[in-house]
Amino acid sequence: MIETTHTEQLFDAFATLADTLVVGYDVLDLLQSLVEYCHDLLDVDSAGILLMNETGDLEVVASTSEANTLVEIMQLDANAGPCLESFTTRTVVSVPDIDVDVDRWPDFSRTASAQGIHSVYAIPLRLRETTIGTLNLMRNERGELGRHDIRAAQALADVATIGILQERTIRDASTIRDQLQQALSSRIVIEQAKGVIAETHQLSMDAAFERIRGHARAQQMSLSVVARQLVAGELRL
Amino acid sequence: MTVDPFRTASEALSESGGNLTELARPFVRFLPVTGASVSTFGSLLSAETISATDARAQRVDELQFDLGEGPCWDALATRAPVLEPDFATSASWPAFTPAIRQEDVAAIFAFPLMFGPLEIGAVDLYSSTPGTLTARQQKQALVLSAVVSRILLRHAISEATTPETTTFSRRLIHQATGMVLAQVGSTADDAYLLIQARAFADDRPMREVAEDIINRRIRFGDLSETDEVTP
Repeated sequence: MIETTHTEQLFDAFATLADTLVVGYDVLDLLQSLVEYCHDLLDVDSAGILLMNETGDLEVVASTSEANTLVEIMQLDANAGPCLESFTTRTVVSVPDIDVDVDRWPDFSRTASAQGIHSVYAIPLRLRETTIGTLNLMRNERGELGRHDIRAAQALADVATIGILQERTIRDASTIRDQLQQALSSRIVIEQAKGVIAETHQLSMDAAFERIRGHARAQQMSLSVVARQLVAGELRL
Repeated sequence: MTVDPFRTASEALSESGGNLTELARPFVRFLPVTGASVSTFGSLLSAETISATDARAQRVDELQFDLGEGPCWDALATRAPVLEPDFATSASWPAFTPAIRQEDVAAIFAFPLMFGPLEIGAVDLYSSTPGTLTARQQKQALVLSAVVSRILLRHAISEATTPETTTFSRRLIHQATGMVLAQVGSTADDAYLLIQARAFADDRPMREVAEDIINRRIRFGDLSETDEVTP
């Protein structure tokens, strides 16, 4: 294996994110890449992105593991947890030890702790006055996230946010809202496609997602297009 | 170009909106019958005539409900059409046959209303003259019955349940929908309806049924209710 430094890997990540931001990119694919970079490059065990939906609630749109346990934890976090706090206060929220103050967010803290997650770092996806969601980094170890990792995570989150919001100013103001909403609605057909693959090949939901993701990458197609074809029976994997 | 009465009837049915009282009418448009009725009964829904094209069609249902026997009961029990081309020469039902002879009804064709494993009810078609239906006409009646089944089931579910709103439970339901559509070879819409109907039948939240599907405790078989035609 070729040794590359952490910094070089980060440069690659930025370059690839920038590539993703060309005209006609799919927001969901961009966010999926973002969580995967966080997982691969930073000292975190799982990462997820939550976007604000039509009713103003946060909804998981991308995560490093599609296992339902992780998604449920993040959704609890979105109802009452560091993720929601980061979104409403528009600031970074760091929880170095979940078990220290369980009563603050009891449902989230207990469920996360039971699944082996012990520290959380939530970053708002924000550009000036606009916050579209949050990036959630979770670790199995206790303690603060390293200084370099914090800066890298914020930079990755900023690039993605600027990319998304930049598109908005280029087109008209309602477009980005539609686009974010579309990313969330794409989740419906992606969940259905996971079910199709899980049933056809007797796989877990997480493994089913990996297969769909792998195909989308290999064919350079967006996740939602692949998912739609699977659900319509036009594609078999 | 000739007008296909079956197509006209199918279109009328899909355009019926939420008007359940009109569900029986499309059947008389393309089949050689005098009247039609649509009723719910069986293990899932209470016994009730939902739609009837005339008073005699209503009476055909009423007699079968009162006597607890007749073609509609047999159609649902056997999950297949029951054809009685001439009551003058038939002795199929000891109580219903003599009763229906008083009613100027010569023939009855009953088609089951089902959705997957679920019993919805039956369609009763009657004719005042003896005669039967061709295999093609039976097939068309079954296709239309399948549409009626979905309409009745959706209606019953929407009356009875409140939607579940958490984003996480919706995710599970979408995953389960994908598994069920792969199991039964249906559309996503039908797979969703199957889960919804199962939850309704078992009086459980959809999320619980979805979890059972994902954990492979519940499986659905073929959804082939329109494939069988008994001549």
